Amino acid sequence: MKPQSLISSFNPANNPDTLASHERAEIDASTRFPVLLFFSSAIFWLLVGSLFGLISAWKMTHPALLDQMAWLTFGRLRPAHLNAVIYGWASAAGIGVGIWLMARLCRVPLLHSKLLISAAIFWNLGVLVGVLGILAGDSRSIEWLEFPGYATPILFVAYAFIGIWAIIMFRFRKPGHVYVSQWYLFAAFLWFPWLYATANILLIWQPIQGSAQGAVNWWFAHNVLGLWFTPIGLASAYYMIPKVIGRPIHSYYLSILGFWSLALFYSWNGMHHLIGGPFPAWMVSASVVASIMMFIPVVTVAINHHMTMRGHFGALKWSPTLRFTVFGAMTYTLVSLQGSSMAIPSLNTLTHFTDYTIGHAHLGLYGFFTMMMFGAMYYIVPRLTGWEWPSAQAIRWHFWLVAIGIILMVVSLSIGGVLQGLALYDPQVSFRNSLDYATPFRWLRGISGFFLLGGHLVFAGLFTAMLLKIGRPKDGPAYFTAPAKVEASPL
Amino acid sequence: MTAGTLLLIGGLIFLSGSALAAFYWSVKDGQLNNLPDAARTIFDDDEPVGTPTDKFPSKQ
Repeated sequence: MKPQSLISSFNPANNPDTLASHERAEIDASTRFPVLLFFSSAIFWLLVGSLFGLISAWKMTHPALLDQMAWLTFGRLRPAHLNAVIYGWASAAGIGVGIWLMARLCRVPLLHSKLLISAAIFWNLGVLVGVLGILAGDSRSIEWLEFPGYATPILFVAYAFIGIWAIIMFRFRKPGHVYVSQWYLFAAFLWFPWLYATANILLIWQPIQGSAQGAVNWWFAHNVLGLWFTPIGLASAYYMIPKVIGRPIHSYYLSILGFWSLALFYSWNGMHHLIGGPFPAWMVSASVVASIMMFIPVVTVAINHHMTMRGHFGALKWSPTLRFTVFGAMTYTLVSLQGSSMAIPSLNTLTHFTDYTIGHAHLGLYGFFTMMMFGAMYYIVPRLTGWEWPSAQAIRWHFWLVAIGIILMVVSLSIGGVLQGLALYDPQVSFRNSLDYATPFRWLRGISGFFLLGGHLVFAGLFTAMLLKIGRPKDGPAYFTAPAKVEASPL
Repeated sequence: MTAGTLLLIGGLIFLSGSALAAFYWSVKDGQLNNLPDAARTIFDDDEPVGTPTDKFPSKQ
């Protein structure tokens, strides 16, 4: 672009373009330490969590595997897997992406980074104590809340720091429009402590009695997905997709509608886990209705992302961020519509208590959220370290290993789950024999775990290279090469 | 009623109230007035509309 005045010709620093890029680079740099701290710890827990998951998966086909030591038995390893990936990986990655996005969207350099660094330390301490507690046999046996009572306050302290920080950042943002990603992020940062505190009060500090515990449990577990991970994932997609291809989102109106309808409907969804359970019919019915109403936020997001991408799908070839993000966005549509369908009681009776549900959970947390986080990290990390990802080939390996892994896992668990469900329906088949229908598909799921773990190792290697500054520095502050100049990168 | 229940009801009222307040604020503040421009707020002179900002790392 042409210099605006004579002075700017002499000193490029006065050029408005350079000023804008300096401002952005300064904001990015201010987030460097806390964001990289959250990312590094998240990737560590991703490796630990996938290893736990892989062993748990093979225990389903080989029950005698590693059963000599109490702390490696299925009853401990499987909740350790769940909590390591939920709190250690997904939440920490989401917080890291959230911090970076908040700073960029508030258009101010990060304030109070010490608050966030303390939060990262406390968060990881909480996860470490919690995972070790589960392995030691102190699990609470409440799904998604297995962390023992001595771990949860540490997590809560960490979380309080992040919530306070989010309010401060929002308060001191530069005036102007509040972009839709920021609505999603700010809401997520306020919803999570409410969910976590409510569930802990009602289930651990002053436990309510009887089957109502189930209602609280599933209200919490489902909302962690819908009011914590989903808004962070969508915030990332609503920023990354337009930014990477350089085109504003198709319909801003739909994005606002999507945000408010998610806020209105999602927190009612949890009870659909309890269809057929000992609960008042109205609770379950209200939840089924709300689950179907989720079509509104999901379809608005789907239309928006698809229409923004239309004509730009070629960009998937040259942008790693976009490839992961669009995979995540498409999976979001798929997994959400699948979830709504699973809330329909007649379908639910077939899929409930089968591997189909496990497939659905992984499609949501992995196919959607984790892929979204990988995409965001590919965009963010070079802007924080000032270094270029060392190998395009390794990025392709990462993408294809995890993409094939998650597709194999979900497809095999879904088919196995339906066969298992049909066998459960059949009075001629005993319960014991109904499990045999799922077994071959559990083998496939076990194999998919190797793909995922392999992909994670590749990604961890790439990330470590970035931290150690192996490779070469990024050129210039804008980090841009015209797609025409980029060498062809076939899929 | 236990302290926990009171805390929960308080939290519920606060949270629903803050959602309503946030929506009221967004309308009052004019956040929803010019949606096409709002979608462009993430672009600036340095990274304008039409500028892709990500690529695979190329070989040295």
